[in-house]
Amino acid sequence: MPKHIVRLLGLVTVIAIVAFSAKYFLIPDSFYQYGHYRGNAVAEIASKVPKLQGSASCESCHKAVYAEWTAGIHRKATRNNAIQGVVYKSGPGCEVCHTGPAGNHPSKEAMPLSIEDRVTTITHSEHKVHPANVPARKLLLSPEDMRSVCLNCHEKLEARPIFQRQIEVASHSGEEFCTKCHNPHSPRIIYASLPQVRRGDPQAGKAVAAVCSGCHGVAGMSTSPTFPNLAGQHADFLVDALKAFKSGVRKNDMMSPMAAGLNEADIRNVAAYFSRFSCGVTGGDKAKALLGKVKAANCAACHSAGGLYGSGAPGVSGIPTWPNLAGQNAEYLSNTLKSFQDGSRNHPVMTSIAKNLSDADIDNLSAYYASMKCK
Amino acid sequence: MEHVFDHVTPYIGYVYPNETDFPWSQLIVIYPYITGLVAGAFVISSLHHVFNIKSFAPISRFALLTALCFMFFAPSPLLFHLGQPTRAFNAVITPHWTSAMAAFGYVAGFYLCLLLLEVWFAFRADIVAMSKVRSGIMGKVYGLLTLGSDDVSARALAIDHKIARILSMIGIPAACGLHGYVGFVFGSLKTREWWSSDLMPVIFLLSAVGSGVGLIIVLYVIVSKFRKTPILDDTMRGLLYVMFTGVAIVMVIEGLEMLEMVYKAREGIDTVRALIAGPIWAGMYIQWGMSTFALLVTSALLVFNTHGKRLVTWLFLSGLAMMIGVLAMRWNVVIGGQELSKTMKGLLTFYPEMFGRESLFTVLIISICPYVTLWLVTKLLPPWDEKIKLLPPWDEKIEPEHKVFDVHKLA
Amino acid sequence: MTTQDKKFEEQEVALSRRDFLGLLGKGAVCAGALVGAGSAVALSETQGSKHAFQQNDEQYAEAVNDPPKIPDYNWNDHQWAMGVDTTRCIGCLRCMEACKMENSVQMDANHYRTWVERYVYLEGSNTAIVDTQTDPKNIENTGSETKFRFDNRYRNAKVDKAFFVAKLCNQCEHPSCVQVCPTGATFKSKDGPVLIDTTYCIGCQYCVQACPYGARSFNQSRGTAEKCNWCYHRITKGLNPVCVEVCPTGSRIFGDRNDPESPISLFIRNNHVQVLKPEMGNAPNVFYIGLDKEVV
Repeated sequence: MPKHIVRLLGLVTVIAIVAFSAKYFLIPDSFYQYGHYRGNAVAEIASKVPKLQGSASCESCHKAVYAEWTAGIHRKATRNNAIQGVVYKSGPGCEVCHTGPAGNHPSKEAMPLSIEDRVTTITHSEHKVHPANVPARKLLLSPEDMRSVCLNCHEKLEARPIFQRQIEVASHSGEEFCTKCHNPHSPRIIYASLPQVRRGDPQAGKAVAAVCSGCHGVAGMSTSPTFPNLAGQHADFLVDALKAFKSGVRKNDMMSPMAAGLNEADIRNVAAYFSRFSCGVTGGDKAKALLGKVKAANCAACHSAGGLYGSGAPGVSGIPTWPNLAGQNAEYLSNTLKSFQDGSRNHPVMTSIAKNLSDADIDNLSAYYASMKCK
Repeated sequence: MEHVFDHVTPYIGYVYPNETDFPWSQLIVIYPYITGLVAGAFVISSLHHVFNIKSFAPISRFALLTALCFMFFAPSPLLFHLGQPTRAFNAVITPHWTSAMAAFGYVAGFYLCLLLLEVWFAFRADIVAMSKVRSGIMGKVYGLLTLGSDDVSARALAIDHKIARILSMIGIPAACGLHGYVGFVFGSLKTREWWSSDLMPVIFLLSAVGSGVGLIIVLYVIVSKFRKTPILDDTMRGLLYVMFTGVAIVMVIEGLEMLEMVYKAREGIDTVRALIAGPIWAGMYIQWGMSTFALLVTSALLVFNTHGKRLVTWLFLSGLAMMIGVLAMRWNVVIGGQELSKTMKGLLTFYPEMFGRESLFTVLIISICPYVTLWLVTKLLPPWDEKIKLLPPWDEKIEPEHKVFDVHKLA
Repeated sequence: MTTQDKKFEEQEVALSRRDFLGLLGKGAVCAGALVGAGSAVALSETQGSKHAFQQNDEQYAEAVNDPPKIPDYNWNDHQWAMGVDTTRCIGCLRCMEACKMENSVQMDANHYRTWVERYVYLEGSNTAIVDTQTDPKNIENTGSETKFRFDNRYRNAKVDKAFFVAKLCNQCEHPSCVQVCPTGATFKSKDGPVLIDTTYCIGCQYCVQACPYGARSFNQSRGTAEKCNWCYHRITKGLNPVCVEVCPTGSRIFGDRNDPESPISLFIRNNHVQVLKPEMGNAPNVFYIGLDKEVV
């Protein structure tokens, strides 16, 4: 065999030996142990530390909030779906809204888990310590943040199943914050637990009421449909209204000077006086009222005794600082809604709601509430 | 807001979110392109070495060197594309044989070795001669390449030729395998409607031959012009036959594949139609336009029995057209396949980056490298010498003195 | 032991070597019918094998006798699976956010381990319009790719039918991604999840191409593939995967199929479950209820 062939074969053999021994030595330990992979990789992957720790881990520090949550609807939100034979775990836990607190909370040093991660953690107004990467944001205080937290689940979306409680933002709260009415940890509104304002003295109020009776009637039933009935109205609402006239938040040619002459005690007393009268049904167009009933679903959250989901007299608000609408003069109601529309009256919730109503809607709604029984 | 979207592949319809990050970019377009050129060039050189077709004798060694130089750079687009290039050898250390890709290291390595060996045997007589006359570093290099043996006896050369022929014979199925295999990498994915076809390996292989012949024609004409040597009519006619056969068959099979897809009209055929009319319309026009041009020109050249300067001009043009057409075809397959979403409800439109690791600039560099290398290698191992008529057909009686390199001519 | 028993046992051992064990109830089939029935069952039941994907007998024995050293966990005791009840999904995308944080997935709208699709049929249309958070309109709505939220674009549209479908890796019995991985950097573990060895992955993205469900992506910062592994680091510690943990409506169900009373076993037993793209032959391990013809 010629020399060059021998040399070549030698060279090829050397290269082959080097290559195969290199291949042999470079195969990682535990490769092929359980299959075509590094057997040790399984335990390595499993050894990663979990970041989200579950709601129970929050309890040790946040006892009060945790108790609030456990008692509330967010804990029980999910129905037990027995039909499907699966017991679903209940409700959104802490980390559903406060994503990744265990991983990024309250400072990098306290929980050395996921420093490298860009995590957007939400905090409520009272939380003073913020994760380093959330620059002092007070979430749930601006509509923007509200959108990102509550509305993630509760905005009315096509495709969202009906069992999920959903709201149209514009007609539900407008520019108002969710936290104005709801406790995010236990968001169902419990009217009984809301604070009561000081009661006035109806007897003392009677004297003050003498000047009112010219328009609002002796027993609170007004003399003209453009004036509101006061009979049976929530005292707290009347107090708020008079104060608003006095301070100039609300303006009215008649009422502003009237309210200006009243002191704090007078306001409380006259409000208590009118609220004691029983109201009557002023009546409205029946056909319109029927149409208005459909539209009134948007109002029920505030202007119904049972709130959005409970049962209760429509037009009688659950919270005393919100006005009863039942039995109110239809013309007054429609004027009021229009004043919200044109901006002559302002309210964070009512303004945006009124702006979503057509003239016909206003007529129908006014007729509906005017024909409701107020007690 | 603009910056949010700048890394996203725009899409219409619905695509899976992860699809908006394009997995295989333009680098994977030129990878099959380059291996295709290798396969094509090798086939040309084998036509002489194995089948003893004399008209290819003048270019067979040049075609061999071309194949080698392009093979050097065939893996480079893949390396640039890998997320962890330093781990590239993991696929060789622990090849997972169920993966079409695992064999790549072995197939490419085997083929590279084959080419190196064949080149060595084809040029050994020249290397020995050069090692004798050159001094300095180049002398040492040639000395090293001889492996310390200057045996150029008739017996030794006869053995060389026999081995070279055997290597060449192995090389043909290997070249087909290498490229059919690249087609298999794409064709075996059931996920992508545009790729998932049994014809894919065949299409890849035949278009590879087409583009490889095109490359050899183009290089042969250009090099001959520069060296001011005559372009042999016989050789051009031979290349014309191969070219015509390649183009004709590949067009038929590509047409059949398209027809099958449209005729079967499985779920999402509307999206396939939209893909052809949409994101890759330009590529489709180039691919089919250039192929048709090459087919028409080569047919005309055959019908009119053209020779001489006109043959050179038109064959050069159709060779160039074939190279461009096949590049467009690679784009249509690789990019088009990914532009058609796995959902079959959406289309993406891929926009290549200009600069960066995976960019058109990298593609340009990688595409130029084989030509530069080829230029350097022809300096080292000159494949041309009409006077000696290197590598006569193997069956002939070999006259050893004819094989000695004419060093005076070089000097 | 009688001769017949012994004979039976031998046959059983022989069968197990051919992956048939576990398909056959002990003593339920008489010895004569074993061979014929066995092959028929093997055809009809592909999940009967206890072997993981592409695992030979030796490796299977090793997996049983010397399982990976994970504290308080033995992968032989579990066979994980997931269920998605699309009728309960409210599209809040908390799963996507939690997943990205738990697993350090790239924080942009192009890389997900799990995502939620919204299917909307407009009135009079027979095809659904589909979008995910990746849709530029959804990102514009929140102004950030890291705020996970669907916009309310169909507020004023006439919608015939609409629903959400959560997607994630199906941890298939016959995973295409494992099949095409050239190195063995991704593999099917014995207890179900398909895992990625990120120290061994070369980043060729062939698996990204091969996954029929688009569940894989490429993590540029790591240079390796990225996929859902059902939070393997959590389930081996007795926790739920994080998407299941944060789902406020319980639309994701997770559990161990070896335990007949686990949520997933109940879910599969009591519902008509479907899988995605069964025609791909991947045999997914994520089971859906409430799918629709348009769901891809």
